[in-house]
Formats: sequence, C-alpha cells, structure tokens
Amino acid sequence: MKYVVETKNLTKSFGKEQAVQSLDMKIAKGEIYGFLGPNGAGKTTTIRMLLGLMKPTSGSIQVFQQDLKKSRISILSKVGSLVENPSYYPHLTARENLEAWRKILGAPKSRITDVLAIVRLSDVANKKVKGFSLGMKQRLGIAAALLNNPELLILDEPTNGLDPSGIIEIRELIKQLPQSHGMTVLISSHLLSEIDQLATTVGVLTKGKLIFQDSIEAMRKLAKQNISLRVSDQDEAHRLLLAKGIQTDYQKDRLILSEFTDEEIANAIQFLVQKQIAIYRVEEEKRSLEDIFLQMTREDQVG
Amino acid sequence: MIRKLIQVEFLKSKRKGFWLLVFLGGFGVVALQMVNYGVRKEYLLQQSDNDWIYYLMNISNFTPLALVLGIAILTSFMTSIENETNAWKQLIALPVSKLTVYLAKFTVLAFMLLVASLLLTLFTYGYGVFLDLGAIPYGALLKYSFYPFFASLPILALQLWIATVSNNQAIPITTGVIGVLPSFSAQNLPDWLIWKWPSLMNSWNEPIYYVWLGLGVGCLLYFVGMFDFARRDVK
Amino acid sequence: MLAILRSEIFKFRKANIWALIFVGPVIAIFAGLVDSGELPVNSWVYTVLMMNLVYAVLFLPLITGVFASIVCRYEHQAGGWKQLLALPVTKGRVFLAKYLLLVSLVFLMQLLYLGAIYLVGNMQGFAEPFPLEIIWKSVLGGWIATFPLIALQLWLAIWFKSFAAPFAVNVIFTIPTILALNSEKLAPFYPWAQPYLMMNIGGKVDAMFFVPWDQLLIVVGGSFILFFLGGYFLFNRKAF
Ligand SMILES: Nc1ncnc2c1ncn2[C@@H]1O[C@H](COP(=O)(O)OP(=O)(O)OP(=O)(O)O)[C@@H](O)[C@H]1O
Ligand SMILES: [Mg+2]
Repeated sequence: MKYVVETKNLTKSFGKEQAVQSLDMKIAKGEIYGFLGPNGAGKTTTIRMLLGLMKPTSGSIQVFQQDLKKSRISILSKVGSLVENPSYYPHLTARENLEAWRKILGAPKSRITDVLAIVRLSDVANKKVKGFSLGMKQRLGIAAALLNNPELLILDEPTNGLDPSGIIEIRELIKQLPQSHGMTVLISSHLLSEIDQLATTVGVLTKGKLIFQDSIEAMRKLAKQNISLRVSDQDEAHRLLLAKGIQTDYQKDRLILSEFTDEEIANAIQFLVQKQIAIYRVEEEKRSLEDIFLQMTREDQVG
Repeated sequence: MIRKLIQVEFLKSKRKGFWLLVFLGGFGVVALQMVNYGVRKEYLLQQSDNDWIYYLMNISNFTPLALVLGIAILTSFMTSIENETNAWKQLIALPVSKLTVYLAKFTVLAFMLLVASLLLTLFTYGYGVFLDLGAIPYGALLKYSFYPFFASLPILALQLWIATVSNNQAIPITTGVIGVLPSFSAQNLPDWLIWKWPSLMNSWNEPIYYVWLGLGVGCLLYFVGMFDFARRDVK
Repeated sequence: MLAILRSEIFKFRKANIWALIFVGPVIAIFAGLVDSGELPVNSWVYTVLMMNLVYAVLFLPLITGVFASIVCRYEHQAGGWKQLLALPVTKGRVFLAKYLLLVSLVFLMQLLYLGAIYLVGNMQGFAEPFPLEIIWKSVLGGWIATFPLIALQLWLAIWFKSFAAPFAVNVIFTIPTILALNSEKLAPFYPWAQPYLMMNIGGKVDAMFFVPWDQLLIVVGGSFILFFLGGYFLFNRKAF
C-alpha cells in the first residue's frame, strides 16, 4: 500500500512534556482522513510537523513517499494547508493576500478568482482583511489552501467560526475533492459528528497518542449508540424488561438501552406496548466524542 | 524564487508606511539642518572656513541616529507583518526555503535603507546648494551619505535577527534604543562596537575601514541570524 | 480603580520584561565609568553631567515609549481590548490605571538611576560626600518632565497595534532634542528636551528645580494637559 502521508514513530517534546508520542499515521491516496482529538491532544503539533514548520524530536515523516526532511520544498509545492486560526495580512485586501501567496506558489493568476468564488468571497475580494469577520477570515484561509490545487490538503479545524451554511458549504466542498481533483485530505476536528459526515478514515489522538486509526465504519461500530426511552411508568417498565432479561440503565427521567441491535429494540418496545406502557419518546443518543474518548482511553488502559 | 519572494515582500509592505519612513529618514536629517541654518546661519558660517564640509559634518551628526533607530523601526515593522497575525506558518508552509524568506526580508530592508541614503544625498545636495556654500565637494557628499549605510549593515543584520526571533517586539526596539547611544557619544568608545560604526569615527581616521568592516561583519551576522531562524520551529 | 491598577501591575510583572527598567541605569553606570578622564569641577557633578548625557537626552524619552507599548501589548494581542473593556470598568479608569503604572515605572527607574550615580561615585572613590539633595532634585525633575511624554506615548500605543509605529513617532520627536539643546532659545520650549534640562544639575540651584517655574508649568504642564486629555478622549471615543 502506498501512502500519501506516513509517519513512523513521530515524537515531539516541549521540554519534558511529550505533545506527540510515537505516532504511526498512515493516509492512503484519495482518502479523507479525519483527525480527531480533544483540546491539547497534539493535532496541531502533528500537522505543524507534517508541514515542516516544526522539527520532530524523533521519528520520520514521508509525504508522497519522499522524506520530508530532504524534499520539503518539492513536497510543499503539492500541499495546501490551513493551520489553526487563519493567517492573513490585515492591511492587504483578500485578493492581495492571495496574490502574495500565489506569487510564491507560481499558480496562474486566474486561480485567485476561482478560489475566491469557491469560498464565496468574490464580493469582498477588494476589501481589507482587517475588517473581515472571523468566518470570512477562515474562508480566506481555506481559499489560500486551495490556491495551488494541491494533491494533499491539510485543514486544521477548518469550520472554526463558520456559520451553519458555511459549514455545510465547506463540507460539501471537501467531500467532492477526492473524486473531482484526486486530492487526499487531512482534516482535524474535535467533533465526531463533523468527521462522521466527511471522513473515510479516522485517527483518534489523545494525550499525544494515536489510539485509533481505521475506517469510519470501524469507528461507527466502536461508537455503539444508546437508545433512550421515556415511558409513562418508568419503574414498571424497568422491572418488566428486567424480568424478560433485558438490562436497562435506569436514569432519572429515562431508561437507557445500550448495545442493542435494531431488532432487539423493536422487540423491547413491542413488549412494553403490549404491557400497556405508553411510549412517549424513543431517542437515539449519539454518543459524544467525549464518551467515545472515555471508552477508548479506558480500553487503552486495559489493553 | 528569491526574485518572487522579494516581490511578495514589497507587495506586503504596501500601506504599512515603509516608504513614508524611508522618506522621513532621508529628509528629516536634512530638515534638522534647515532649522539649524534657518535659525542661526550667520553664526554657523563663522564656525569654519570650509562651509560645505562644516555643513556636511552637521548633517552627519544626525545620520547615525536616524540610521540606527530607523533600522530598529523598519526591521520591527517588517517582521511584524508576519508576527502580528502568526502568518509565519502560512508563509513557511509554502514551498520556499526559510533561508530564502530571510534573505528576501534582508534584501528589501537593505534596499529601503539604500533609498533613504540616496534621498539623504539629494536633500543634502539640494539644501547645500540653496545655502550657497561655495564649491560642492561631491566626494565628501557621497561619503557622508553612503558610508554610514555600509557601516550599519551589521546593525541591520543583528536587528533583523532579534526582531524575527522575538515574540515581543519590545526586545528589538529596546536594543535599538541602546544601540543609538554609542552613535550619539561615539568618541570615547572602543572601535569594535558596531553601533559606533555609522558615526564613521575611528582611531585610524579612516572611515572607509568601516565600510569594509560593515560588509564583512554584516555578512557574518546575517548568516548567524539566518541559520538561527532556519533552525527554529515556526510558531 | 485600585483593582484595575493591581491587574495592570500583575500583567506587567508577568510580561517578563520588567527587567527593562534596569537597562538605563546599567548603561549609565558604564557611561559614568568610561568617562573618568580629567575631573575638573566637583567630581560628583562632572560624573552626573556625563551620565545624564547618555541617560537623559535620548534614552529616557525613547524608553518611555517602549514601556507604554509594553503596557498595551496584552490588549493588542488577540482581541484583549474587547476582553478588558467588557469587564465592569470604565475606559477612563483603564487609561488612568495604565498611565499611573507607567509613571510609577519611570519613577522606579529614576530611583535606580540615583542608585547608579551613587555606585559610580563610590567605585571612583570620590572624596566629597554624596550631594543627595542636588541629585534628588535632578532625578525627581527628570521624572516630572516625562509626564507629558508618557501621556503621548500611551495615546499612541493604544492607537497603533504595532510596536514600531508609536516608536517611530517617538523617534521623530526625540532626535531633534539634540539640536534643540544646542540652542538656548529653542530648548526651553521643546517638551522632549525637558527631561534633560530638568536633570541638568548646575542650573539655577536656588529654584525648586533646575528650570524656572514658568517653564515647568507652561511647557511641561501645558504639553501634559494636551497629550493626556488628547489620549484620554480619543481612547474614550475609540471603538474596539
Ligand atoms: N510551542 C509550544 N511550546 C510548548 N508547548 C506546546 C507548544 N505547542 C503545543 N504545545 C503543547 O502541546 C500539546 C498539544 O498541543 P496542540 O496544539 O497540538 O493540541 P491540539 O490537539 O491542536 O488542540 P486543540 O484542539 O485545542 O487545537 C499541548 O499540551 C500544548 O500545550
Ligand atoms: Mg489545534
């Protein structure tokens, strides 16, 4: 398997603290790799190393099967990136900002107009960035990352500060990049829901360690979902289900059924209805990223 | 690549007031003598029998001050373009070598200082002619306008280094403030002090030495700064 | 008000560059030691004159601007003004607190400078006793003379985001000081020359300070009112 990005034993320490520990990250061509992790997990640090902004304390990085240390410039000419909050020159207009980067990249001038249209900044192209809203700056950052039509696009929390329609736009944009342009995308986020709708592969980082790296389907299986039930008589329902051998988690105002197949849920509800218990709500409780992290880190400690 | 990077530096320096400062540097030094000669021309003309040289000396009292402080201001401005919005990461994530980025900044700054020196020459010449001081000593005019530029290259290299690696711009500005003191009271200080060099005073009485020293030591400090910049992680 | 001031002091201490107040006095010590040639008059007086030349002409006015920018640095970074002004404070008090902090810093630096003079004299082994009264007057006078400069620099430091811009203005006003000091006609009227003049011992010793009262009130007082009120009102009107 040929990987677009492959790190081996990648480690970065700041003094005593290890921000990234022995990371073996693998991203195959055409994938959208969702890079998940809570605050301070080391996502941005990893991305900085992938871009050659920081030197690893140890370990190696291969991008396009070339060593980053040796071929940094030729690699970066095929990479587009947005790291953390977007960078910009406030005293220049959006167009001038892009022009400054375009000159270095050697992309055609018309590309500026294209990327401005893609991120919907055409109307404000000639306004100074100083007066931009947070989301507009973020869009400019995404435009800059697309400027050279990169083979590898690295986006660190790209939807930060965007409005709902902006989030959807950017998501749709990113989604179609692999097919339409053959791009490979690395996108970091705290939000599983966001990654869930985009990624084909997921890497979960916590405290500098990559504790999960697999397809999104594998991730979904891991993130088993709970069903919460609100009924007319909770005590009775709890008892009845228990008598039938169905374990539920009794909470203040609802019963939680976890790790059940669709069929099992259907049976349980049918049973309750037969027993004259009114069902008010059946809700799927998507487990938050934190829950999954908790689960994963627990497993991590056990294993 | 370097050519493109220099173009980009010029593009980014738009609307930042760089050229106003360059103009003020060259013009301001002469403007001070306009006030000086405006107020007490008779007295000043009595001070010496070579009025042109005396006029040039008066100007060259202020040239090193303007240069040293001007360098501190321009370098800090130049690096603040990236420092203020953390744009280093965007720039360095482009396919450029850090060494070239640094070289581009240095080149643009040196060019601005050279333009300031040129303006200084022109304004010195213009006001000198206006004062009607007699035969124009072209050699001395060029010497007092351009030697300080070369003599101050080590300061430029040092300030650029400090300004690029400092998070806090108070540090390069303070080194600028400290650096201006030797050029103001240069006579009693040892010759190896680079901040003394723009004043062109040395124990050999050979200002040209500072031109060669400035080029040599300037290169050295430039390389030290450049490699240190390349070695560091980008924030 | 006191709370704001305390918070300002805290931020400054955390800026890790409060050591900057030592820079001037240390340089002055070098200046005092380097220049020990012939000692014509009272050696204390001569030494102080030499040290003043290095410390008071350019350094003191320039460093006030650096301090002012440091005091506004946190606020300029990442929307700090919004953060600060969204607290239950009035803009006027914030301005005043910052101003008071700056004035106190310069006072501390002046005290250190006084210590530097004492140190140099002792290292040189001067026979005469330390003329505390004269030097105290000089140090205090120099401090008062920076009041208007601090006000202007604070104004500019609030106005400009970058460090270099207020400093550039400061340089433009400070360099002509050298010329102004050469002229007995101009010097008394130039605010940036006042720190040196008020520290310049050997002026009229009978007066409270080394410059006449009317000069102090009109030039220092007048420029102070202008710069302080200008900064104060513009800060109040500025939107963050
Ligand atoms: N320049 C630095 N110096 C010291 N420590 C650092 C530096 N950069 C990052 N760290 C530390 O490394 C760890 C990882 O930080 P990083 O920014 O990579 O996290 P992240 O996963 O991107 O978090 P977030 O989701 O909040 O963006 C943190 O504990 C942080 O304190
Ligand atoms: Mg991050």
